[in-house]
Amino acid sequence: MQQLVIDLNRSDADYIEQVRYALAFASEDIHSYEIDEGAKQIRLQLKPDADESEVRTRVDQILIRYDQTQFGMKRVVEYERKHDLPPIDAWAGLLERKWATPVGDGHVVLRGPAAMLMALVDHKVETLFAQEFGAELQYFPSTIKSDTLHRCHHFTSFPEHMDFVAHLREDLEVLKNFADSCRDKGWSPELHDGTMSLSDFAISPSCCYHAYEAMEGWDLEKPGRCLTATLHCHRYEAANHSYMSRLRAFTMREVVWVGQPAFIIENRSRAEKIIIQWAKDWDLSCTFETANDMFFTDDYAVKASFQRQQQAKKELRLDVPSEGRSISCFSTNFHSTTFGRAFNITVGGRPATSGCIAWGYERWVFAIFSQFGLDHKLWPAGLREDYEQFAVKRTLAKGSSTA
Amino acid sequence: MEKAAIQDTLQEFVRRRYSVAGDDPDFSNSVNLFDYGYVDSFGMVDLIAFVETTFSITISESVLVTSPLNTIEEIADFVLQKKAAAQCSS
Repeated sequence: MQQLVIDLNRSDADYIEQVRYALAFASEDIHSYEIDEGAKQIRLQLKPDADESEVRTRVDQILIRYDQTQFGMKRVVEYERKHDLPPIDAWAGLLERKWATPVGDGHVVLRGPAAMLMALVDHKVETLFAQEFGAELQYFPSTIKSDTLHRCHHFTSFPEHMDFVAHLREDLEVLKNFADSCRDKGWSPELHDGTMSLSDFAISPSCCYHAYEAMEGWDLEKPGRCLTATLHCHRYEAANHSYMSRLRAFTMREVVWVGQPAFIIENRSRAEKIIIQWAKDWDLSCTFETANDMFFTDDYAVKASFQRQQQAKKELRLDVPSEGRSISCFSTNFHSTTFGRAFNITVGGRPATSGCIAWGYERWVFAIFSQFGLDHKLWPAGLREDYEQFAVKRTLAKGSSTA
Repeated sequence: MEKAAIQDTLQEFVRRRYSVAGDDPDFSNSVNLFDYGYVDSFGMVDLIAFVETTFSITISESVLVTSPLNTIEEIADFVLQKKAAAQCSS
């Protein structure tokens, strides 16, 4: 197998993380890669017959893209609590107990205490946020029009993680041949070649887009509206899929505000105080800090710098000691009028502003098990008490429903 | 170029490009363009390109982090600083 070694100009953690993530999408000729931070080198293993110079060009493009942030991205930490925690291989523990079962790359089934913990997180979101803000409950389809994503600028920011939906063409021969081939030779991906329709839908990569498209053309009453929804989202992450910390199929809950600027800004600020208090109550090892999206485009530096400067995105990052890093489990976002303009939503005659707060539930479950272990009796008091009370309620409810 | 003239040029662009009503009572040279929803993050990319082209200056990514460019007034001040620095070095 061919090996290609490319030198790095920098070795700071942010840069390395971004480059490592982006390399997974650089070229299909790359079999695997590793970054040697000490030697400041990328070592790539190429597939047979790979075009080495083409791969080098692609990797150089990625390095240039992220090199533009060498001045350092603005980082404001609003809350930090760091425990000295031992590394716990939560994933192995979840597998051993059958609380989690992988069902494909980036897909996982949760059950038992893992499912219970996820339900508890949802319960906390419902009581601490959705009810607190009087959010209207909404239900969204899991797929979304590609045209909607285009109007949300999603494709020009995150093209790499799209999972599109397609069906077999409405053609009797195509359908019959597909079924016959499956019967005779078994299913294989090659059977899709030339048999699929043009794709006009995608699996939702995020929860709140449906909220805006469903309000298209609305003139809202001042100061605005608040809603909440939960959605099973998809993001294709290539080689970056990792246990439960970066899934392809995951559960996102959001609370969304659409309305006047002050309405969004004030509610977002209130929500940030509540999430910090929640992190304190559960004694989570974490930071709440400014952040930016991983824009997968050549104007990454401009977009990310602007987002950080405006503090348009903040994240609660929970530590995962066994991986020596933290993962984003919650974010607050201010979109200004991006969606108001895209869908002609107005308030008082002006384009509506919007903001949202979002939880990635599987990440919460994984981070908590990684920080405190799989025995809930050993968890911090606030978390343990919430979990036990919730589990008792669930058990009682189950008993009464089956009686 | 006077600060007032720079502000007028910026105001005219923002009003036209981002459809700000002529009688909008909140719009001014000191309003935070992003917080008040006049310009979103995608629009900011256009605004920066307009400033660079119109006033023949460059705005690096580091400036976006270190300098407040949230209002028309702040952008005008930044343009004046860049112009002055360019004259000193020429």
